[in-house]
Amino acid sequence: MKKSALTKTTDTLFTPQKAKIIRAVQATQTEKHFTLALANKEKFQFMPGQILEVSLFGFGEIPIGIASSPTRENTFDIVVRTVGRVSAAVNKLDKGDHLFIRGPLGKGFPLDKLINNNVLIVAGGIGLCPTRSLIQYILDRRTDFKTFTLFYGTKTPEQQMFLDDLKTWRLSKDVHFFETVDVPNASWQGHAGLITKLFKQTNISSNTRVVLCGPPVMFKFVIFELKKLGIIDQNIFLDLERRMKCGVGKCGHCQINNKYVCTDGPVFALSEIRFLEEAL
Amino acid sequence: MTQKPKVAFFDFSSCEGCQIELTNFGDADFLELLNHIDIVEFREAMSEKTDDIDIACIEGSFTRESEKDRLIAIRNRAKIVIAYGACAHTAGINALKNHTTDFKKAVYGQDADQPHLNSNDKALPISHVIKVDYFAPGCPMSKYEFLNIVSHLLHGKEPVIPTYPVCVECKRNETICRYDVGDHCMGQVAMAGCGAPCPSQGIPCEACRGFCEQANLTALENTLINKAGFSASRAKDKLRMFTNALLPDTSNP
Amino acid sequence: MNHHYITLKDFNLFLTKLVNQKIVYGPVARKNKFVFDLISSPEQLRLDYDVTILPPKKIFFPPKQHLLHFDGESYKDCLDPKEQIIMGVHNYDIKAIDQLDFLFKEKNPDDHYLLNRRKTTIIGSNIQTIAARSFWGSAGAGVEPKGHDGFLTKLKDGFVFETRTKKAENLVKFAKFIKAKKTQVEQAAQINTAVKKKCPAKLAYSSAEIAIKTRLAFKNNELWERLSKDCFSCGSCNTTCATCYCFDVQDSWNLDQKSGFRTRYWDSCMTVEFAKTSLGGGAVHNFRALRRERFRHRVMRKLVYLNDKLGGPACVGCGRCATACTADIADPVNIVKEIMEA
Repeated sequence: MKKSALTKTTDTLFTPQKAKIIRAVQATQTEKHFTLALANKEKFQFMPGQILEVSLFGFGEIPIGIASSPTRENTFDIVVRTVGRVSAAVNKLDKGDHLFIRGPLGKGFPLDKLINNNVLIVAGGIGLCPTRSLIQYILDRRTDFKTFTLFYGTKTPEQQMFLDDLKTWRLSKDVHFFETVDVPNASWQGHAGLITKLFKQTNISSNTRVVLCGPPVMFKFVIFELKKLGIIDQNIFLDLERRMKCGVGKCGHCQINNKYVCTDGPVFALSEIRFLEEAL
Repeated sequence: MTQKPKVAFFDFSSCEGCQIELTNFGDADFLELLNHIDIVEFREAMSEKTDDIDIACIEGSFTRESEKDRLIAIRNRAKIVIAYGACAHTAGINALKNHTTDFKKAVYGQDADQPHLNSNDKALPISHVIKVDYFAPGCPMSKYEFLNIVSHLLHGKEPVIPTYPVCVECKRNETICRYDVGDHCMGQVAMAGCGAPCPSQGIPCEACRGFCEQANLTALENTLINKAGFSASRAKDKLRMFTNALLPDTSNP
Repeated sequence: MNHHYITLKDFNLFLTKLVNQKIVYGPVARKNKFVFDLISSPEQLRLDYDVTILPPKKIFFPPKQHLLHFDGESYKDCLDPKEQIIMGVHNYDIKAIDQLDFLFKEKNPDDHYLLNRRKTTIIGSNIQTIAARSFWGSAGAGVEPKGHDGFLTKLKDGFVFETRTKKAENLVKFAKFIKAKKTQVEQAAQINTAVKKKCPAKLAYSSAEIAIKTRLAFKNNELWERLSKDCFSCGSCNTTCATCYCFDVQDSWNLDQKSGFRTRYWDSCMTVEFAKTSLGGGAVHNFRALRRERFRHRVMRKLVYLNDKLGGPACVGCGRCATACTADIADPVNIVKEIMEA
């Protein structure tokens, strides 16, 4: 992945650039889905799985995974969950407003290791947002990949995001899409139960490359299932989340042993972090 | 907030020192603040009153049953409630009576039985009675921090109050540690944000802003005993200074 | 580059001239301690200091540093590097600065640090008084101090001034320096070698041995629990550390409520908040929620994690953490002893 993307568009490590909100949709009660474009009209260059530092002056900066693929139009997507000061302020913005971004930061998904292979993506909750960049990428370059399976789990049906995408994926022949909710409501017709239950419905081969993104508790249980299928650590990729301030490998907040999630990740092969006790 | 928010100040059991501290701005800072807010109620400085309030700033602890209704009335009028100063935040030194029974006698001597001196057995933070949105800790509260809190609220941003201990600020200031001159201090577990002015003036930190999360009080007691030469009972008393109402053992012995 | 010599009397004249024309920092007395501060007259400079409360990094990497200034939607970087000289930096701090230079430069160069650093001239000086808790004689013993511009060694009647860069060589013209004699250079070298053996405390193991054993002790919860039992999570060890460089970033508005700054502050991995993330709905996840986990992280970071990058431990043996810790549990000498004997 090119590191120079950062120096190309900014003056110092901490200089953000302006982005315009092209579209803003309340995705769930707590999450808002923004489509952005650079204010200078240039195409924003990035790779699936990379992150942005999103900021509003006076409020601060937060790390957010990019939720769309560079294979799509000139715009790019982020989904912001209201959790703190910055996200609360960002989620008050609407179409036509501006915000500021730094990035793209970090290494994205290891496309070279996924291409020409069977791919399974396991997304829990808000973990669908960064993985959507990869889902779109695979769908756009479908012939570059073999079988493509997607697991998506949320606590409740109300927490499902990208409803239009879900509709498309349910009907698509390009992806084997499986979804589940932990706690169904009256109108939920689909599968209910933890995301690990979906493995029973599928036939994932042992040479599949797997990408995981979700809450910290999800990792352990999914990895346990993957081990049962005989998938090796080198073929399991985790998109990790940590507290982050600088996003450029300096501030120390996201450090796990000798790794920085922001610059060495956020995507790691399980083999890289298996023995880093604080990673999982 | 598009219009200037209406800000009101109220006091309960306290020395009103925090209100004095506010008016101590007396300079460009305070006047600049007035460009952005409307002060609608402020006993120390004015007398007009109004019904609806955007931000109610409450000073003082809850020590009398009659104060309950007043607190609830303020809460009902206000969009945001800030507890400012140690008395409102932790019940402060008012709570020093909480683990004693003879406090009235100790303070008022032979006048102790006068009816107007009646109060509850315990002084409590106002959050015991009403929902408090934000705290401006300290005895007195820091006027610069207060400005910062108001500034954040003007933009609808939750105020940033440091959560690290006073030691961090002392070290940043390169203040000589009280323990290095044979004194004691509670800065290791006390919430910072004040800028650590006391130790820089040679005064130990009394934790007037309350204790940090996971405050290691056992280790503090040991340090007070072993390093500052305190007796075990004095060490225990020291911990009560501003946080008696929050400690688990505030009941009568 | 060169070895110069200056008499004590001329050195005072040199300082007088220097402080009149340049921004000069150096160790000065603060009650019974020392701090790096601006020097306005020669007698303030206390080259006989033992150790300062904060390391000299604060001069080019201050505890609070504005990164950006914003005004509505326009914004600019806050870069205002000043030419400055830091006099009297001890070898352990020179090693620490060299580490910071590397860490701020690697991968993504941090201009807010580097521009300040580039304009700073660092003049070391030999250690005349040894701090009670120091162990620089044995900390990262294989790592040579480098990255400084010049070095002063005090002999009986004057100083040998070794210039290592042009920046230092340019200072020579400020006073009556003469070429140092071979015997004087040898004497200076002797003094600097001899002092290494005079530290009161010592690590009894090599950096590599310590790194391996410490890493292996990661899961020894009983050990970390015992070592951190009295920890206040107060951050004093981090805040005074010569090699710590973690920071927090916060925005705030000026009184006009329109303009303001994005600012970085020194941060401390020992504090409870450091690895906390918000999950929404008031839920938080703290990746190092326990005292022993935070304590272990600091030890790992000083003795293990950065060793490959730095070619030695991220601890230079200044003993500041040991001095600053009121519970007296932060001393790496004791921690290493406990780990090695566990």
